[in-house]
Amino acid sequence: MGNRRSSKTLGVGLEILAKIWRLRLVLLLVIPYLVLSGWLFTATRHDDVRPGEVFTVPDHPLWEKPSEEHRFGTTGTGADLYKLSRIAMANSVSVAVVSSGVGVALTLLVVMLFAFNAGANRFRLLKIISRAGFLLPSFMVIVILAGGAGGSLMLAMIAMTLVIALALAPVTARWFEEGEEGPDILAGYALGLTRQEIVRSRIVPVVIRRLLGVFARMIPVLVMAEMSLSFLGFTGEHISVGAMVAYGRDLIIEAPWMALYPGMMATIVVAVLSLLGTLTAGVLRTGRYPRFL
Amino acid sequence: MVKFLLQRILAFLARVVGAGVIVLLLLELSYCVFGGSDQHIWQPEAYQDEASVIAYDATDWRGLVSERVVSSARVWLIAYGSVLLVGYGWGILAARLRRVKLGALLALPFSLFACVPGFWFVVAVAIYSYFVWQRPGFADEVVVQSGPDLMSWWYASIIALPVLAPAAAWQLRAVSSLIEKEAGRPFVKGLYTVGHRDDTIFYGNVYRQARPAVLGLLDQALPFILGGLVVVEWGFRYDGLGSLFVDCVKGGYYTGILMCSVVVAVVIGLVTFGRELLVKLTSVE
Repeated sequence: MGNRRSSKTLGVGLEILAKIWRLRLVLLLVIPYLVLSGWLFTATRHDDVRPGEVFTVPDHPLWEKPSEEHRFGTTGTGADLYKLSRIAMANSVSVAVVSSGVGVALTLLVVMLFAFNAGANRFRLLKIISRAGFLLPSFMVIVILAGGAGGSLMLAMIAMTLVIALALAPVTARWFEEGEEGPDILAGYALGLTRQEIVRSRIVPVVIRRLLGVFARMIPVLVMAEMSLSFLGFTGEHISVGAMVAYGRDLIIEAPWMALYPGMMATIVVAVLSLLGTLTAGVLRTGRYPRFL
Repeated sequence: MVKFLLQRILAFLARVVGAGVIVLLLLELSYCVFGGSDQHIWQPEAYQDEASVIAYDATDWRGLVSERVVSSARVWLIAYGSVLLVGYGWGILAARLRRVKLGALLALPFSLFACVPGFWFVVAVAIYSYFVWQRPGFADEVVVQSGPDLMSWWYASIIALPVLAPAAAWQLRAVSSLIEKEAGRPFVKGLYTVGHRDDTIFYGNVYRQARPAVLGLLDQALPFILGGLVVVEWGFRYDGLGSLFVDCVKGGYYTGILMCSVVVAVVIGLVTFGRELLVKLTSVE
């Protein structure tokens, strides 16, 4: 009885359970993300909600103050501001998630191009390129890129992605360098592992884990950036809280709720995303990185 | 020291020139490649717009930019000054009281305020100002004819607030974490074991050791502040460099964009130069 070989299936099952247990905090944090996304993305959607049409003020405006029926009031065309705000926030969050994801992936890709070289100065070129434009605030770079072409959401996203990659590349390079200093890495070399094996199996997983934390932390920042660009009119005809506040700014005497309530919702959503981002980065032990946006 | 100074001045000039070249490349990329404009950056006629297209009473771009820099300097002073005061003062305090985790508590109000979109905050202030104080809220509505121009300082504070909050929260945490990292080193445990007092160890050893690294953070928040002000100034209709920059981007005025960007680069470059000098002096000491 005592010598019976343990079941292979049981072993695999226990291993999976152990992995899930290790990831329990991350999995717990997925729940509030899903709840928030569900709330935002289940707003009644009209595929072509254009701020220029919704916020037009007709000769006889149909706007209503906030009431039980319309929690945030209505626009001049009678559209419900609460629903519009949810659609706008869903748009901003989508833009932020895509830009953050692509930006972080691009960062990893760029740094990996240099990571397998053996020289001590392998990241030098990368650091010089990233440092070259540090006197220019990132937001000004994004404004020039997005605004110069007359305002386009796609360009704004490309600009945000590039800025993320440029700013994060030196930080990620430093993480690679730090990763190679540990005693386990030296032991790996002593045991005869190759550099490729060590980088691939020991350093890259740690860097990816930390970058996932950056991804989560960047989402509220990019939501803010997207809303700011939209407020300036640099994201084209696409509904966002920024555009809503910009239209409402011209009507602060007649219909102040048009600027006030969407901004309040944006504040709450950004606060929740920030909290979740901080917790996720804490669980994934991301560490500090410079504030650039 | 002279060699160091000359090196840093050269680096400063190279950085400013680099920033100018990057702006030119960005202009070509955004306006010509993506925007389809035929005004290329190497054509002299691309820079021939008069400054009066932005402000009727402006004589030339240089005068207009100088005027806007003076206006914005007030906001920069409030925002950056507050970030340094809060970031360093409270950051050191948070590190001193690290056992009770004071850092997170001190940064909390700033972190919460950082979630408020800056452009919305200034519009909300304008609405409040109109309905509660019965006075026009946006910055260009009131001109003080005599006496101290307190209104300008009030407007500058409103504009500075949304950008200083996130920057101060970041600076505070960065300063405290650097000092706390130093406090976790083995020599500190040794000093405790020998019987030194807590405050002597902190100010006499930990803080002194961490000082160059802490001073290295001096210019980190500035690009973020100046970038953030672009949207807040425009939102509040404040006649500063940020709103001039946005108006120039909207109108496609290369001269204005280039001058605003270079001024910002010079300001950041000067602060970076000051930081490098200070770190060097501290290290020598």
